[in-house]
Amino acid sequence: MSVTVMVNDLVKRYGSLVAVNDVSFSIEKGEIFGLLGPNGAGKTTTVEMIEGLRKPDSGKIEVCGIDALKQHSKIKEVIGVQLQSTTLWDKVKVKEIVDLFGSYYQKSLPTDEILEQVAISDKQDSYVSTLSGGQKQRVALALALVNDPEVVFLDEPTTGLDPQARRNVWAIIEGLRERQKTIFLTTHYMEEAEQLCQRVGIIDHGKIIALDSPGNLISTANLESAVEVTCRSEDAEAIFTNIKGVNKVSKEGNRYILHTKESSSILRELTHLTDENKLQLEGMSVRQGTLEDVFLQLTGRKLRD
Amino acid sequence: MKVLIRQTALEMKLFLRRRDDLFWTLAFPAFFIVLFGLIYGDTQWGPIRAIDYLLPGIIVMAVMISGIMNAATTFAEEREKGVYRRLSVTPLRKHIILGAQIISRYVIILIQTLLLLLIGILAFNISIVGNYAVFWLILTFGGLCFLAIGFSLTGLMRTAKSATPIAMIVFFFLMFLGRILFPVDVLPRALEYISNVLPATYLNDALRLIVIEGRSIGDVWLELAAIGGWMVVCLILAIRFFRWE
Repeated sequence: MSVTVMVNDLVKRYGSLVAVNDVSFSIEKGEIFGLLGPNGAGKTTTVEMIEGLRKPDSGKIEVCGIDALKQHSKIKEVIGVQLQSTTLWDKVKVKEIVDLFGSYYQKSLPTDEILEQVAISDKQDSYVSTLSGGQKQRVALALALVNDPEVVFLDEPTTGLDPQARRNVWAIIEGLRERQKTIFLTTHYMEEAEQLCQRVGIIDHGKIIALDSPGNLISTANLESAVEVTCRSEDAEAIFTNIKGVNKVSKEGNRYILHTKESSSILRELTHLTDENKLQLEGMSVRQGTLEDVFLQLTGRKLRD
Repeated sequence: MKVLIRQTALEMKLFLRRRDDLFWTLAFPAFFIVLFGLIYGDTQWGPIRAIDYLLPGIIVMAVMISGIMNAATTFAEEREKGVYRRLSVTPLRKHIILGAQIISRYVIILIQTLLLLLIGILAFNISIVGNYAVFWLILTFGGLCFLAIGFSLTGLMRTAKSATPIAMIVFFFLMFLGRILFPVDVLPRALEYISNVLPATYLNDALRLIVIEGRSIGDVWLELAAIGGWMVVCLILAIRFFRWE
């Protein structure tokens, strides 16, 4: 595997604030890498330094083997960028703007193909200003893909979108993953990072505090799962508390939540108890740990606080 | 080169789609010449009719509206919205952006001037005594010069909100000291020196020499050189202080 983006010891200060503090990571060819963190953690500053919009105070950035800080104009041909907020001319039509952006590059994909890829062909003759938030975001994606880039930068691609529009954008990004595109995305939605990224760097206060695949991050964090059951037996709470491996039981009417790190053995035990008619369970569900919980465990704060 | 043509074509299209821009650059100067024509009728100012004297001035005013007021403030607004920030991560160079802006606006200035001439000739009997080719040459120098001035000012316009006041100050300064609507002898001596070197003054003088007095190109070379000088200096400033965001 070859490395497409390499970032070493990146530092950016604004006065006394260290916005990005010694950040290092690399992205392999064909990989979707996500930077996950709360607002103000340094995600946008990091991605904009790689894109060349901001100058780092120190550090090294390489994109496709090119020194991004020294040969900035050279990497513009090989990257595709979707900024956190993309504003275009109001009175420009979708097809026109994609055509125009294509003409900026030495090589570009046919406009029809791009519009198809981001599912906006039906709006190609509409003014950009008349589009919905989700449609505008798809145009922004189209502009990021028009030069068939080696690496695509997506800065919070679904922030501010409704759930349906978010799923549409995810579907487009998944389409890119199938076509082996290298993608760097930032997000403060843990579902987004879990769903899309092969590897995730968790960033907080300008520092990367964890970096691995979403699955590994969750399993190494050794998180508690929550087993949720509904039960009408009088002595249910006592029985649940006595099951081995249950750390805590919380109760809400007839609903009980069993906090545990061994959800599978708890499930076995619950089935066993039902078989022996000691308990009448009416519903059961298990919620596994998420990246949100990983973040909570690492920082003591919630992602969206 | 292909990129420059496409970018220019887009700018033209965008301009035609913006109704308020169309109004300010086309209808507003046209309104002025109709107004002055109706006010002065056949009134004589010395040896010439007032409206004959005023037409070149109104053309200069229209050129300044296009170059300083309209082009520069629109650019500053689009820049604040982040349009050029997005362009800055593509291989597009700032020379192309400026070039496309200036060429498309220059075409607008030509259309605008043609409209003013037509109204003047058809409605108020104004005749252009001199050569039309020389008139066009002077207009081209003047148009490009005021566009360069407008875009050099965008470096000073930190926000879209400050763009209009900055453009207004420069516009009215040139309007009053550029001998556009009244002759030089009403100015105090100190202001006259300043007035003498302003691009608006040179453009006015050159246009009047051709339109009213019917002089030849040999008589306006000094004015053309001065306008050209302003243009080159401001163009360098516009490129040097170009801001993507």
